[in-house]
Amino acid sequence: MLFIELVAQGLVQGSIYALIALGLTLVYGLLRILHIAHAALFTLGGYIGVLATNATGSLTLACIFAMLGAGIVGVIIYRLCYEPILRQPPFVALIASIGLYIAFEEAFRIIFGAAGLTYDAPPLQQYVSVFGSLHFSLAELVVMGSSLAIIAALGYLQTHTRVGIACQATVSDPQMAQSFGIRLRTVRDLNFFVGSALAGFAGVWVALLNNLVEPTMGSVPSYKALAIIVLGGMGSVRGTLLASLVLGVAESFGTIYLDQWLDRNAIAFALLILVLMVRPQGLFARR
Amino acid sequence: MKRLVSTRKLALAFALSTAFAAPAALADIKIGLNVPLTGFAAADGNSAHIGAQLAVEKANAQGGINGEKIVLVVYDDQASAKEATPIATKLIERDKVVGAVSGSYSAATRPSAQIFQAAQVPYVVAYSIDPSVTRAGDYMFRVSSMGEVQGRGGAKLVNELGKKRVVLVTLKNDFGQTLARGFKEGAKKFDLDIASEYEYDIKDRQFGSLIAKIKSDNPEAIYASGYYFNAGPLVSQMRAAGITVPIIGQEGYDSEKFIEIAGKAAEGTLLVTSLDRDSDVAETKEFLQKFREKANFGADMVGAATYSATAILIEGLRKTGGKGGAELRDAIAQGSYTMPIGTLQFNDLHEVNKDLQVQIVKDGAFHRHSVLHDPELLAAPTKDSK
Repeated sequence: MLFIELVAQGLVQGSIYALIALGLTLVYGLLRILHIAHAALFTLGGYIGVLATNATGSLTLACIFAMLGAGIVGVIIYRLCYEPILRQPPFVALIASIGLYIAFEEAFRIIFGAAGLTYDAPPLQQYVSVFGSLHFSLAELVVMGSSLAIIAALGYLQTHTRVGIACQATVSDPQMAQSFGIRLRTVRDLNFFVGSALAGFAGVWVALLNNLVEPTMGSVPSYKALAIIVLGGMGSVRGTLLASLVLGVAESFGTIYLDQWLDRNAIAFALLILVLMVRPQGLFARR
Repeated sequence: MKRLVSTRKLALAFALSTAFAAPAALADIKIGLNVPLTGFAAADGNSAHIGAQLAVEKANAQGGINGEKIVLVVYDDQASAKEATPIATKLIERDKVVGAVSGSYSAATRPSAQIFQAAQVPYVVAYSIDPSVTRAGDYMFRVSSMGEVQGRGGAKLVNELGKKRVVLVTLKNDFGQTLARGFKEGAKKFDLDIASEYEYDIKDRQFGSLIAKIKSDNPEAIYASGYYFNAGPLVSQMRAAGITVPIIGQEGYDSEKFIEIAGKAAEGTLLVTSLDRDSDVAETKEFLQKFREKANFGADMVGAATYSATAILIEGLRKTGGKGGAELRDAIAQGSYTMPIGTLQFNDLHEVNKDLQVQIVKDGAFHRHSVLHDPELLAAPTKDSK
């Protein structure tokens, strides 16, 4: 029984990782930028979620606001920060991104205070039994369900619609795509918007599960998501999803059985080293 | 002729500048404070800062020290050793403080202690509970009970509740680990059965798998260390998962923010701490009221401990007439102080012996549950002890 409960808890955690890491994968796939500041948009989503839920009483509205807010800020980051340095070596963008993340973290602290914010009346806290003795809060079930649905939808859009195919074309050969009439800037804006909106969405739910959003909420995801996209094969949506779930479950068991030797947050990197030794291209990359 | 005029002007300018500068240079007695005002511990740092300010304001309102004003020189150490080290040097070398207060965590306090000790500047530590701090030397003082003592108090409380089978959930840093060590010492004495022990990282907020395992351990009580930002999610997730046994926390829970995060789940949580909200002692009541007025939120242990540390340093300065060094060290060591966190007297290692306060969360606020009085079990270490 404990085994199943640990797997289930790992899947909840894994779906949150998936939502965060997916945006990072999209950006990496498109521009080869390691977008650390992505984690700041996750935190931003959390803040907007808490503030909007407390103001309107509606979690649905809060999710919409958080996704829009994080999405728009994501596009602004791309236009102001990354676009001007696209021709520079990748580490330039990486350094800019780390700086941006720190600036965001401190801005959250100055604006919203260091102690963090909480939901006045956290919604979806009721516990439900699944298959008899498995217990989940409604919030956990919604996180799992929605992240799987979103990722499936994204996978479908990527392969079955003109916009998705345009994105893929831009990834494989930007110049060629441009000569076929694809507007590079629009595709990149869209990518940043979607990826950032997903991070914002994840932020709302993590803030709800913890009933706490704090300036440093993104610090662990900022680097753990990097490990996930490497595990998943850099830029692969399906790989990212699987790597997130694998990591979630590995952490769930590790927290209990490895806690004396290995920190929970170190498991991602132990797994990363292990995988890179065996499959340098990542767990789920085709090549 | 021309030269004479300019010499006069110079002399006048010099006289004027000396006349105005002199009182300013003599009027201040500087004391230092290192607190984490940014970073993960910023909320505690803010409380600590307010506590120290209250102590200084009170002393200055009473005329300072022989009419000289006390100035608090504050630096943000981000609760990190690498920030704290240059700050300690700066306070000593540049600001020339006569004494200093640590309103910070152990990571920042430990290296600072060495520096203040080497410079022979008295350093009064508010709530860092690492044992090595007072071992740095005789210029160090600590106003809180050490981690081991608090942990032993936790075990005594479990025993008084009539519970025997306990699960330990330990924050993986020196704070959590010293508490766990103390708890295990106490557990032996009270014959408690520690069913299992789990450790978690300070950054963790999701405890799903841990809770699943704790449920399967079927304990009668849970002793969980952590700060309010860990404890809030931990307690609410445990209650939501159907764990109903008593949860015992300690000073790290001692913040209104804990109750805010855990919400209704916080009800009934017990904490072994040093600030009694229902105290009849005038000093404590006055502090609780003044803190709320200044901060706009209720006082916490961190604020109360830093207030006490600062007030004790000032009390020492009153006795020496503002002089620092060995004179100040001896003055602090000899006094007995009635503070919001209890009546304090330093032993030969400059640690305090005092009762521990057990608070319970009731109707969304901290209230007195009981007082742990056991001079033998809760004795602070001395110079000769290990």
